Amino acid sequence: MTGEPLLSVQDLVVRFDTPQGEVHAVNGVSLDVGAGETVGLVGESGSGKSVTSLAVMGLLPAPAGRVASGRIAFDGNDLIGLPERDLRKLRGKDVSMVFQDPMSSLNPVITIGEQVTEILRAHEQVSKADARTRAADLLRRVGIPNAAEQLGRFPHQFSGGMRQRVMIAMALALHPRLLIADEPTTALDVTIQAQVLELLVALTTDLETALLLISHDLGIMARVARRIAVMYAGFVMETAPTTELFAAPRHPYTVGLLNSVPAIDDRGKELRPIEGAPPDLEEAPVGCPFAPRCAWRVEACWTTMPPLRPVSAGPDASGVDHSAACHNPVRADEVRGAAPLRPGFVPAPPPSAPASATTEAPA
Amino acid sequence: MMEEAAVSAAAAPPKAASGLRGVWAFVRASWLNALAVTIVTIVVLLAVFGPFLLGSKGNTADFANILQGPSASHWMGTDNVGRDLFARVVAGARISLTSAAVIVLLAAPFGCLLGILAGMVGGWVDEVLMRFTDLFFAFPAFVLAAAIAATLGPSLQHTILAVAIVYWPWYARLARSQVLTLREREFVLAARVSGSSTTGIVARHMVRNVLPIVAIQMSADAGNAILSISALSFLGLGAQPPTPEWGTMMAGAQDYLQTAWWFLTFPGLTLTFTVLGFNLLGDGLRDWIDPRLRGVLRGGRV
Amino acid sequence: MGRLVLRRLVFVLFVVWGVTLITFFLSRVVPGDPARLIAGPRASAAALAHIRATYGLDEPLAQQYLRYMSDLLHGNLGISFMTRRPVTQDLRTYFPATIELTVLALILGVVPAILAAMLAARRRASGVDQTVELTAVAGVSIPAFWLALLLQYLVGVKLGWLPITGRLAAGATPPPRLTGMYTVDGLLTGHLSTSVSAFEHMVLPAIALAAGVYGLMTRIVRASLLEVTGEDYVRTAEAKGLSRSRVMLRHILRNAMLPAVTILGLEFGVLAGGVFVVEYIFAFPGIGQYAFNAFAASDYNAIMGVTLLVAIMYTLTNLVVDLIYLYLDPRIRYA
Repeated sequence: MTGEPLLSVQDLVVRFDTPQGEVHAVNGVSLDVGAGETVGLVGESGSGKSVTSLAVMGLLPAPAGRVASGRIAFDGNDLIGLPERDLRKLRGKDVSMVFQDPMSSLNPVITIGEQVTEILRAHEQVSKADARTRAADLLRRVGIPNAAEQLGRFPHQFSGGMRQRVMIAMALALHPRLLIADEPTTALDVTIQAQVLELLVALTTDLETALLLISHDLGIMARVARRIAVMYAGFVMETAPTTELFAAPRHPYTVGLLNSVPAIDDRGKELRPIEGAPPDLEEAPVGCPFAPRCAWRVEACWTTMPPLRPVSAGPDASGVDHSAACHNPVRADEVRGAAPLRPGFVPAPPPSAPASATTEAPA
Repeated sequence: MMEEAAVSAAAAPPKAASGLRGVWAFVRASWLNALAVTIVTIVVLLAVFGPFLLGSKGNTADFANILQGPSASHWMGTDNVGRDLFARVVAGARISLTSAAVIVLLAAPFGCLLGILAGMVGGWVDEVLMRFTDLFFAFPAFVLAAAIAATLGPSLQHTILAVAIVYWPWYARLARSQVLTLREREFVLAARVSGSSTTGIVARHMVRNVLPIVAIQMSADAGNAILSISALSFLGLGAQPPTPEWGTMMAGAQDYLQTAWWFLTFPGLTLTFTVLGFNLLGDGLRDWIDPRLRGVLRGGRV
Repeated sequence: MGRLVLRRLVFVLFVVWGVTLITFFLSRVVPGDPARLIAGPRASAAALAHIRATYGLDEPLAQQYLRYMSDLLHGNLGISFMTRRPVTQDLRTYFPATIELTVLALILGVVPAILAAMLAARRRASGVDQTVELTAVAGVSIPAFWLALLLQYLVGVKLGWLPITGRLAAGATPPPRLTGMYTVDGLLTGHLSTSVSAFEHMVLPAIALAAGVYGLMTRIVRASLLEVTGEDYVRTAEAKGLSRSRVMLRHILRNAMLPAVTILGLEFGVLAGGVFVVEYIFAFPGIGQYAFNAFAASDYNAIMGVTLLVAIMYTLTNLVVDLIYLYLDPRIRYA
């Protein structure tokens, strides 16, 4: 990767203020997306991946959601302190987003045509007629038949796959530098998922748009992303080039994730979920949040969150680092068995005082 | 049309707030709730104990002291025949509260019973009832109440009856919707599969589901009932002088507005605050028990 | 959807018929002898008998009803005893006044309601929100007649800012009739000062009426705004970088007002009741005052006429409101 990445997120912390207390949604996320690059952000529900993307766009639900600390830089410019007016200029034009549920993400009482033209007219000086022509073109480009007629119809008259295509059309209308797609295919029928995904990839490649793809589905990531970041409980646990992540994961959580997805030839074998459950986000994290479920944990894991640091010899051929946030990374031979293979190794028990009673901030 | 959908959406059993601790939690939840409870408590206390404490002060004319402003001996001043206004206002509180109670206690059970009947029996009974209630809904409520009161002859009792007649159709609709939704709910179908009769099931679940919504509507209606009675009395259709009903008093006070502002103002203020208290209470109860009910129950005024 | 409209129209007809039946018999029960009212307290028996025969007051009730219905179908509502004019003419004179008044009351109520609701929704659960809530409940709790009297006295008499009775200043001539609404007719025929005067006469009664409208509308719109603002499509609109005003107007308000439209029917009910009392207090010559006088005079024909008009208008208004809602929501329009 040469030069400053297009999007640079450093140590992002996001909190939500609720009547029940503070929710620690994102606890320290560092992430880079280079120009034209496709990066995957993977994690289960509640890991903070969607919140991260909303924070980048400046769309955290106010006043409850706020960025507590960290830096988000787009094209070298800090986004966090940016006034709303300037953020609006960026949104839709330089950075845009596609959401998970296309039915609820489209305004039910406005025509598709108007929803597409309004983004054009918000950022550029176009006449209504020109905007309509361009809108029709956009719809055609995303594979919607009879584009010109469809302009006058309403979202509920389209199928799920079509609606998502419209969302993609709107998001890419102004050739943004970065597209964030949050679970773009999750809400669609399985048969349509592949089509929409291909469309997304094809278009972003054509337009040289960087794509930050967020999903819980590793399968999608494998096909599409060049680099993957794995999130858990508000932290990025591991980032690596895709092939390397699958071939040689270093973080125990990633290992658990990969092993929990049954392969087609695992017939007859037991499922191997990760024991335990994700932590309660209302508690401030102390140490590594995965520690209670981790087979590799050492004493330090209970008290100090390890920083995200390189775990391979150096960057790979294209200059991409493999980093993990772990005090005791997994060794190559331990990956298949999903358990440490070191004689005499016992996962460190929790410290005598319960970890959650202390209120120290994570290191 | 829209109301049906909204009412059936609210058919889930509401959360119960129990006992004295519930009341305290309710008050603490919002200053509006606290205000509501304060106002209603004061008014109720005044209505219950006031007349005992004040005796016949409100009825004794004192022509030497007509239209006196507020003073130490007459907190709210005196009216056009020298009667103590405060005593009369307090007496009016008792009249208003009992009237509202009677109205609500007449309209709600009658309406609910008919509504439940219509919902359970269905068929042409249901149809007939619905058309019948539709006739009532074809009129703006206040106009209808005025017409009925005018027909029956001006008196407090007749206005109470008139307002009750105008209110019951809403309860019928409410109860009927609840029953209809209940009948479709899964647990009813499940129970039927296991052999219980529909009537038995619905009867048992009726109380839990219908009662809270009806209770909230009743408390909301209490405030509006007081307003209606006063408005009708103001027009001369309700309580007649010298009965110290707030509306009647204000009708008499109109002519003295320039010379004795207190005569019109105090009964009006008291009326406003009382209705405010009841409305806030109704709102608070509704939000407390099930915020989804917003927009379902009749709000605003008759 | 055409079928739906048809069904509703049939329903309106049914309701109207039911109304004529009920009101007819109800009005005949109202105490008071119209014949005596027409003839005067010292009329002779012969004169009374003559009047009764002229107006058909001596016929059996059922026959009177039939005669009334047949007249009705010919557009004849009879003669008002108190004004000595055809009821239809009275209605044509007084109804537009009430329309003007209620439209102004609606505007004065709805606009502040939307603004207040926007303010409250923006700062949800804050002191501002709860204060707005309080004003809304106050609006609904304050008796219209009391507010009317206070306004009349404080603003009209003490401050002298606005007139307190009638539609126009005493002795003033109304503008040439186009719609019957003085403000509109004045504007259309170039009698600007008459228009302004008519407007001034409506302000105080309209405010008295608007309080209830405001109270009802504010809470509905606020709840609706809160619900809509949390919707995903608003987030999409923001993500597209649309201007704040566009997001608010086109995306939020457009959707939030839908439930508010259904409340409009209720609003008309509130207004109708209020109009009755407020017109009486301000001696505003509209339908409300006409109805009040009709009841006091046991003027059967006038009572029937007004009641029919009110019932029809109310039912039609509700129908129109429902239709507007159906039209505004494309999910139903293009099912």
